[in-house]
Amino acid sequence: MIEFVCVVQEGCIPENIREDLANGIVKSCNEVLGEDQGPIIFHWREIAKGLAFRGGYPSTTSQVKGKIPDGCSQEDRELLMRKICDSWSTISGTSDDDAIIGIRDATWQG
Amino acid sequence: MPYYRVITPKNELDFDTRQEIATGFTDVHCGISAAPRNFVHVEFMETDKPGVIDDSHGAGQFSYDTKYYIAGGNRAGRPQEIKDQILNGLIGKFCEVTGISKNDVSGHISEAPAKWTMEGGHVLPDPGEEPPEWYAADTVAASGS
Repeated sequence: MIEFVCVVQEGCIPENIREDLANGIVKSCNEVLGEDQGPIIFHWREIAKGLAFRGGYPSTTSQVKGKIPDGCSQEDRELLMRKICDSWSTISGTSDDDAIIGIRDATWQG
Repeated sequence: MPYYRVITPKNELDFDTRQEIATGFTDVHCGISAAPRNFVHVEFMETDKPGVIDDSHGAGQFSYDTKYYIAGGNRAGRPQEIKDQILNGLIGKFCEVTGISKNDVSGHISEAPAKWTMEGGHVLPDPGEEPPEWYAADTVAASGS
């Protein structure tokens, strides 16, 4: 199973493009990891205005945090992050700088 | 990264206080580490049910028994003394800004390998391995603010 948590700032990523964003992530996963990784589950969380900061200023940055099966090579992990970053930017009309992409192993214990 | 979440009761801190804390956390983190300021993220999570929070880096859930809690996520690879210095600095800054007692604040910093994260379109470097070009985004952010 693959799981993604997408954290977005209020007013920055409209609800009506979130399905497309998710589809872009699914496509990226299928291309890099294969289609046999099980279901891909999404959780969305929106941060209300005034509650998030970057460098001390109000943030517009999204986080896309994925949890994938262990064993992914760094080369594939980087390719997956690159594809997700590109897809997210294209669909949302934001820049690379407006998204943090994290892909960690499922069993990682922090 | 870093990503610091500050868990507080609802409507406890106004915007100006939150921003002052966020700026203070940025000062603390950048004063200890080599991260550009633009890479320091701070989120305030308001809750009526304090006591448990999901970790952002895979460590399950944290239980806490203080009124305020700081849950951080950093790049892995720093010595424990540096990690302690960062967390103590954050708690100290939070208390300095708010006037809240240190007895009411606790925290934890989790970690993940830097190379598991892409920010600004680039894979993050390990602590201590930051290339000069990593600071370009910070220059842009500073000139634009």
